[in-house]
Amino acid sequence: MASTLRPYLTCIRNTLDAAMCLQNFPCQEVERHNKPEIELKSSPELLLNPVLICRNESEKCLIETSINSLRISLKVKQADELENILTKKFLRFLSMRAEAFQVLRRKPVQGYDISFLITNYHCEEMQKHKLIDFIVQFMEDIDKEISELKMSVNTRGRLVATEFLKQFI
Amino acid sequence: MAVTAVHQLAQCITCHAWSADRSMVALCPNNSEVHIYRLVEDKWEKMHVLQKHDQLISGIDWSARSNKIVTASHDRNSYVWNLEGSEWVPTLVILRLNRAALCVQWSPKENKFAVGSGAKTVCICYYEQENNWWVSKLIRKRHDSSVTSVSWHPDNILVASTSTDGKCRIFSTFIKGVDAKDPKKESRFGELIVQLDLSPSWTFGVKWSPSGNTLAYVGHNSVIYFVDDVGPSPLAQNVVFRDLPLRDVLFVSEKMVIGVGYDCIPMVFAADERGIWSFIRYLGERKAVSSGSRYGSQFSEAFGKFYGQAKQGVSNDASETSRTRGVVHENCINSIIPLSRQGTQIRRFSTSGLDGKLVMWDLETEQDLLELLVH
Repeated sequence: MASTLRPYLTCIRNTLDAAMCLQNFPCQEVERHNKPEIELKSSPELLLNPVLICRNESEKCLIETSINSLRISLKVKQADELENILTKKFLRFLSMRAEAFQVLRRKPVQGYDISFLITNYHCEEMQKHKLIDFIVQFMEDIDKEISELKMSVNTRGRLVATEFLKQFI
Repeated sequence: MAVTAVHQLAQCITCHAWSADRSMVALCPNNSEVHIYRLVEDKWEKMHVLQKHDQLISGIDWSARSNKIVTASHDRNSYVWNLEGSEWVPTLVILRLNRAALCVQWSPKENKFAVGSGAKTVCICYYEQENNWWVSKLIRKRHDSSVTSVSWHPDNILVASTSTDGKCRIFSTFIKGVDAKDPKKESRFGELIVQLDLSPSWTFGVKWSPSGNTLAYVGHNSVIYFVDDVGPSPLAQNVVFRDLPLRDVLFVSEKMVIGVGYDCIPMVFAADERGIWSFIRYLGERKAVSSGSRYGSQFSEAFGKFYGQAKQGVSNDASETSRTRGVVHENCINSIIPLSRQGTQIRRFSTSGLDGKLVMWDLETEQDLLELLVH
């Protein structure tokens, strides 16, 4: 499985490098407003083609860019029911605290597990390569976290079951 | 090195403009103010703060002879600032726009200025002596999307504008009473002279060459377009380059263009004797970047996997971008303004970017480029 991880992450990194060319752009539809065009999708000429990078059927990454904002949606590998529940709960925990992450979106895009929204303001405050490092690091860490959680759930289940059944011996 | 000075003047600079004697610079530090700095014994002192706009100032231009500053902002307004005594006094220009103003430039004779806006129109403003105010005339022919950049032809009549719909349009801005009638070129105000549909992607940074014969602008698809003999039958060329798109260009001479953008280093393009434009090199690097670096990273990937250094390989690959090339700017470069002119050639220019740095460049130290310039 690790053999496809490196090229997958490199591909995402290179795509983000090209996609994260954002600039401040005031809204064309409403005067004096400045909105992330990727969320509004009101002017089709301001949107670029979305790129979908698939590692396999269950893991993919959708990168949608516009002139002033970029949306990255991830679908994390969920092998069984337990991972499904763990992923949902863990990512929901993170999304609820989206303010702390700044670039996280509160609700994932339909069909994905977690989404990031990066605007030109983030690119002005933070460095582009650091933002990309963060996203790629996040993707690596998610996998590790979920497997650790799964292992701890299984271990705990085993311990509890052993203790409980001891009384019947 | 081509860099003569680096100044960190703000956290993020949107745009900047120099005074006529290049002793003062007006810049927008990513808010609704204009800060004017003066170089006093190697230190930059903030002399004035111009506060009148409500929103981000997207364009500043300082006229050389009449010493007026024009600012355009996202709040749909534009002000012309006059220095009276030691204070800058603003005059509101009623642009009659209903969307943000995105770019502004004084005409070569400084009697008009052009404003590009998010209302998909270009606005030309001129001074009406009788009423003592600046009047604006909208060019009726609309673009299909926001106008990102405007540039005046040396003849003071033609204006080129680029837009996020991918097209570059050249209009005539002949105004009776302001412009002298030219018997050779009969044109009405707002007449579309040429529409260039060369780019499939958004276009920025249009500039005319010193003689007005060539036009250059950049597209977001990492292409720079050169158009010679602009008129009924223009000759267009495009140069595709490898890295991230550009934002602005500057004609250093008739045959050399410097482009700046998301790569954080200026790129030099030049035309040879036949008039074919090509990419020469980056400024601040001795030779052209070899195209083998991308392949190199794949090989290092393979080696990395064998020797369990995949983690290092990725971080090396990540740093194998402009950062390792000894760059000065850390974030996207927004604008490039000429500093000194020798005849029709520009030897020194300044760039400002989202990292808040104002960097002065000098081409005197770049021997190979000087040879191309003199050609």
